[in-house]
Amino acid sequence: MHRSDNVTALAPTGRLKDAFLRRVLLSDSFVLFLAVVYFLVLWAFLPRLGSARNLSNLSSNIWPLFVLVIGQMFVLIVGGIDLSQTSIMAITSVCGALLMTSGLDPALFARNPLWGVLVSEQGGPLAGSIAAVPVGILVMLAIGALIGLANGLAVAKCRMPPFMVTLVSMFFFSGLAILITRSENVTNLPVAFLAIGQNYLGHVQAGRSTVGLVPYSFFAGVALAWAAWFILGRTIAGRWFYAVGMNRRAATASGIPTDRVIVCAYVISGFCAALGSVLYSSRLGAGRPTLGANVLLDIVGAAVIGGISLYGGKGKVRWAFYGVLFFVVLDSSLYMLNLRFYTVNIVKGAVILVAALLDVLRNRVRMGRTPTGPRVVV
Amino acid sequence: MTMKALLRTVVLLGTSAVVVGALSCSRRGPQEGQLTICFAFQDLETEFWVAGHKAITETLRGKGIRVLERNANQDANRQLEQVRDAIAQDVDGIIIIPQDGESAVTIVGEANRAGIPIAVFNRPPSDRSKPALVVVADNEEIAEEAVTYMAKVARQKRRDRKWKPLIVVGDLGDRNAVARRQGFFNVIEKNPDLFETPIEVPSKWDPATTLANLEAALQANPDVDFLFTSSDFLYPQIRAVLEPLGKWKKIGEPGHVILGGLDGDSTAYKLMEEGYVDATGVQDLFFEAHAIMDALLDAIETGHRTPEKWIEDPGFALTQENMAERAKDMWGYRVLRGQ
Repeated sequence: MHRSDNVTALAPTGRLKDAFLRRVLLSDSFVLFLAVVYFLVLWAFLPRLGSARNLSNLSSNIWPLFVLVIGQMFVLIVGGIDLSQTSIMAITSVCGALLMTSGLDPALFARNPLWGVLVSEQGGPLAGSIAAVPVGILVMLAIGALIGLANGLAVAKCRMPPFMVTLVSMFFFSGLAILITRSENVTNLPVAFLAIGQNYLGHVQAGRSTVGLVPYSFFAGVALAWAAWFILGRTIAGRWFYAVGMNRRAATASGIPTDRVIVCAYVISGFCAALGSVLYSSRLGAGRPTLGANVLLDIVGAAVIGGISLYGGKGKVRWAFYGVLFFVVLDSSLYMLNLRFYTVNIVKGAVILVAALLDVLRNRVRMGRTPTGPRVVV
Repeated sequence: MTMKALLRTVVLLGTSAVVVGALSCSRRGPQEGQLTICFAFQDLETEFWVAGHKAITETLRGKGIRVLERNANQDANRQLEQVRDAIAQDVDGIIIIPQDGESAVTIVGEANRAGIPIAVFNRPPSDRSKPALVVVADNEEIAEEAVTYMAKVARQKRRDRKWKPLIVVGDLGDRNAVARRQGFFNVIEKNPDLFETPIEVPSKWDPATTLANLEAALQANPDVDFLFTSSDFLYPQIRAVLEPLGKWKKIGEPGHVILGGLDGDSTAYKLMEEGYVDATGVQDLFFEAHAIMDALLDAIETGHRTPEKWIEDPGFALTQENMAERAKDMWGYRVLRGQ
């Protein structure tokens, strides 16, 4: 039975209010609704929240995180989790930067194990080449996908717990990133690479200077979102992801190649982490062995806020976007409120907790287990 | 939980957010003509940063300036986002303690583009391509001065074999760490007859990393007898490693490791007073904090949006020889004495 039919069926029983709440609560756009209401309410108190400069900041902050959350979403849908996304960001960031850099300081890099072999004072092997940026980015994406492949094979073929596999990956590749750079940031990256994270389209006047409204990272985010939407919503493979996440055994019995589906989810996650690495590295202007070290909470938090289930089988690209949007708006607003830094962390943690609670409640309502209403089959 | 209870919870949370927002705005909003300065720091993990944070925030607030504090929790990307948020709030000036020299360049560029004067406290940008107010200690000189005293002590203890030096190196993404390491090596290279090849132990400015790496280094090289730490805040870890090996001894006792560091915090002062540490390089924290604030306020007052000035803190080395006269100039001593 369709959800709206259920709601209509409940109305004559005198539960109009419950029916309305259910409609809102179960709506695909619930988090978007929350984000918009939250933004509008706070805007009344904080006019600068809607200023061109702040909108530009929000726009710049949303897309790199969105890319990472899309990758995490695939893994969450198949009932896993990918803790290694942060370390994939770190290792791809330094590998790509070492290939593209046009100069390294011997005082900092002479003790590097790659010194004289792959890199030198004149930079990496692609230094000054026209192909530096595309090849560098392709290598970054390939490394991300390969690490995802290794994670996926360990989870699917060896039946190892995703938490353990990706935790080990996280430690290993974070350590490797530090080892091959000796903790140094890799600078002197090509201007074209930096433009990806730092340049915008469409500038408007904001105070004494202009601000860009559409960052280049927007195009990467939208392209990836479209591809993810197409895979999940328009292909048989997309249905397989959900089926595996809902019940792996039943999916196997139905003839779905579950192992391949799981491996694919981790490969996509690794690829997205690498793409996120491209966006963050170019934004910060350096390959960083510690890139993304603190972003895992943001990724999982945004996914959970968006309604992507940690139990698998549930998640959509637009939910991921709504989650990221709410998370980024929340983050920005808390700073605009000038709360103390520890208060900001407390509030963010509380919001993620409430989001997880809401997810449980929405599931219960969907399954018709609320004490106030009859069982509803969706 | 029923739907009604859920509704109540959501309404309560929403209302709370609005009330918190309204209260925050009313309490913390700038008054007419009041200056607002954003103080963005990477974290407060050492006594040096805590004391610097306190000196800056209290002084600015004492002048009636509104201070927006932003803690990046050692995340360069977060710090960039926080500074951008502050720029969106039209702050009058920015003081940052950057995560590292590279991210400082990017953040200074953001402030330059927005036409907001920015001051960098103690951790300088990796290059000077973008204008900023920077205060930084002459780390190489201070480290060299402290290690020179340690070398003098070593030479006075005439013996047949060379000394085995070890340096606990900071995060080399930080120019301060690079300069301190260089200061140490300047002295080692000037005294080839006195020292063997030094052992370098990376700390990444992290106590746990230091503990693990130092333990490993001393297992492999138990004959280390000359130790310099790039930051005083790592003394607890050094003691934890030396003590079980019977190497945590006072000056004059057999087995004493000649010990020195840099920063000038209260732990270093106490250890010098107790006779465990031979010398420590001292940054003049209070001079640095006040110099950077004065420079920034001056730029704001004169309408200079991209001021450029490098202020150098010459610092000094506090040694067992000059301790009686110069201890009062050490910021760690003054913190300890509540001054």
